[in-house]
Amino acid sequence: MPKTILVIDDDRDIREVAKTSLELVGGFAVMLADSGKHGVDLARQTKPDAVILDLMMPDLDGQQTLAQLKLLPETASIPVIMLTAKVRANRQELVSKGATGVIVKPFDPMQLPNQVREMLGWSVAGKDLGRSGSAKK
Amino acid sequence: MLMGGRIRLWMIAASAVAMVALGAVSWLSYRSTQELIAVNQRLDHAHKLIEDLTALHVLVDDAESSCRGYAFSGKTDYLRPYEDALAQLDVTMQVLRHDLAPDRTRSRQLQELEPLMQARLDVMKELVQARTDGGFDAAVRILQSDRGKRFSDEIRQRIAVVQNEERNDLLDRERESRERARSTIFAVGLTCVLGIGLLLLASVVIYRLNRRSESDHLALQDAEQIQRTILNSAASSMISVDSGGTVLTLNATGEKWLQYNGAELIGSNITKVHDCSELQSRGEQLTRAMGFPVAGDHRALITKASYGVGDQFECSYVRKDGTRFPVLLLISALRGESGNATGYLMVATDLSERQAIERMKDEFVSVVSHELRTPLTSIKGAAGLLVSGVTGALPPKAGEMAQIALANADRLGRLVDDILDLQRIESGRITLDKRMCDIADLMKESLDSVNLVAEHEGITIAMSYSHASIRADRERLVQALVNLLGNAVKFSPRGGQIEFAAERKGSSVVFRVKDEGRGIPKDKLETIFERFEQVDASDAREKGGTGLGLAICRSIVQQHGGHVWAESEVGRGSTFLVQLPLAEADATGTN
Repeated sequence: MPKTILVIDDDRDIREVAKTSLELVGGFAVMLADSGKHGVDLARQTKPDAVILDLMMPDLDGQQTLAQLKLLPETASIPVIMLTAKVRANRQELVSKGATGVIVKPFDPMQLPNQVREMLGWSVAGKDLGRSGSAKK
Repeated sequence: MLMGGRIRLWMIAASAVAMVALGAVSWLSYRSTQELIAVNQRLDHAHKLIEDLTALHVLVDDAESSCRGYAFSGKTDYLRPYEDALAQLDVTMQVLRHDLAPDRTRSRQLQELEPLMQARLDVMKELVQARTDGGFDAAVRILQSDRGKRFSDEIRQRIAVVQNEERNDLLDRERESRERARSTIFAVGLTCVLGIGLLLLASVVIYRLNRRSESDHLALQDAEQIQRTILNSAASSMISVDSGGTVLTLNATGEKWLQYNGAELIGSNITKVHDCSELQSRGEQLTRAMGFPVAGDHRALITKASYGVGDQFECSYVRKDGTRFPVLLLISALRGESGNATGYLMVATDLSERQAIERMKDEFVSVVSHELRTPLTSIKGAAGLLVSGVTGALPPKAGEMAQIALANADRLGRLVDDILDLQRIESGRITLDKRMCDIADLMKESLDSVNLVAEHEGITIAMSYSHASIRADRERLVQALVNLLGNAVKFSPRGGQIEFAAERKGSSVVFRVKDEGRGIPKDKLETIFERFEQVDASDAREKGGTGLGLAICRSIVQQHGGHVWAESEVGRGSTFLVQLPLAEADATGTN
């Protein structure tokens, strides 16, 4: 059974690119949500293995969504990776609020699955692309 | 000030000269007058003497003719003038004796005259006696003896001698008196003229000085007015305090910002407009930095400036109503002529607006950053997936096109990063975290970043250095050096050599990155450090640069107090040099 990842981002194109990368390059099963609210609902229903969450979204933003996910007993244990366009995002603050890691946009679609695996401590897939991916500093 | 002093000195000297001159002339005229009086007294004396002598002469003559009249006539009536003369003669002689007492010669002459007089009087007496007792014949015998005549002649002659001498003396004294009178008139005249002259001179000088001081005063008033206007129209708050921190003056801007009118603040301590906790922590900070205790009161503000260091820092000003606003405070010592700090000037610039603008700019940069990165993420991601083939194989031409899209998306990404980076560095939003860094470590870290690409291109980088330390923000300085090394790699021919060296030069260290590339024309050696300035317009596309690398590099180096420049000859490679100050311990050679 492939691991399931829920991608929450308000930008349709980024959702699509992330889904393609995670599915085709990483071999994960991917679910998509276009808003924080939708994401929280979907996470409660499907209990994915991990969530990739965009930081800047209208209405319920990334931080609020993260807070809700960490608050709800059924989703509190799901690891969340934040996705942000801010170069100097406050990694420390996000981690202290429950995020497992931070990935900065624009990400490399060929590296994304390995970055995710490394952050979550999942063993890197056999068909690795050679270079080890790590979160961009 | 200097001019006033010179004038005052001049006035004192002139007054002294005038006083001395007046004194001398007054003394002279006093002396002349005294002498004139003395001469006049002597003249009077001489006149009187001559008169007395004449009277004596007349008396003797009167007595003589009276006696002779009696001798011829035998009438006692004739004897009355003789008796009168005898009576007066005593008085006249007494007067003469008294008058001539101070003059030895005259006294002696009088003494010699006296026996003659007595002898003559004796002869007269004898004649009268003879006429009375012996009758006419007896008297004639005495007359014929000529004894009386001889005495009379002798007396006349002596009186005449004295009178002549006195007359001559009198003439001399009159001449002398005239001369004295003339010199006295001259002295008095001179005194008057000099006095009037000095008075006139003094009046002119005083008038001029007065006019000058009036115009100086007006000019001073004007200058003060101008200075006050300048101070009050300055867009900074300016507060001067004495060395105890007591407010002395406050300009209009300060009044407006702090909501105090001058009188309310003047005389108060400057801490009234500061945040106590800020002063406290600044005092602690200074204590650590300066190595002696600095109290967290006004001393936290003035201590650094008192050492002649212009002190500039950001802090808060507290308004009368307790609200606060951020200011950039520049404190400098006000020094008197002795060079000692007599007070301090605190010039504050309101940072509220600047901070608001900076917040807006940050927000803008953040939004732009997000708005640009979001589509970039999609483009880069989509192109990357296409090129990788995971979405299925592309026809060769389509693959090439996807490759172009990916490369340019990458370039756009770097451009966005560089623009944001440069903006942050230049706006000073990034505070450099300066620590002691070993230059060898910095160089090795920089080399590691480019070595992989260099090796891939068959380029060797030779590193050499001398041990030294600098105070630097490690991450930023490595970024600058990597920029230079990256350029060297980009422009080196395949299999080329790059020299990466650092050496100490005086109190600084010079990093050198030398390549064997195509070189830089002379007219571009400066401009390549400007934004988007490249040697060749096609470089951005061909070499993948953003045109901002050297601008970022220069900003970083400048923020470290150093400078960067390039030396090159077309076709003979380029050398980029970075000069940075050594850490103090290293610069003084104590290492």
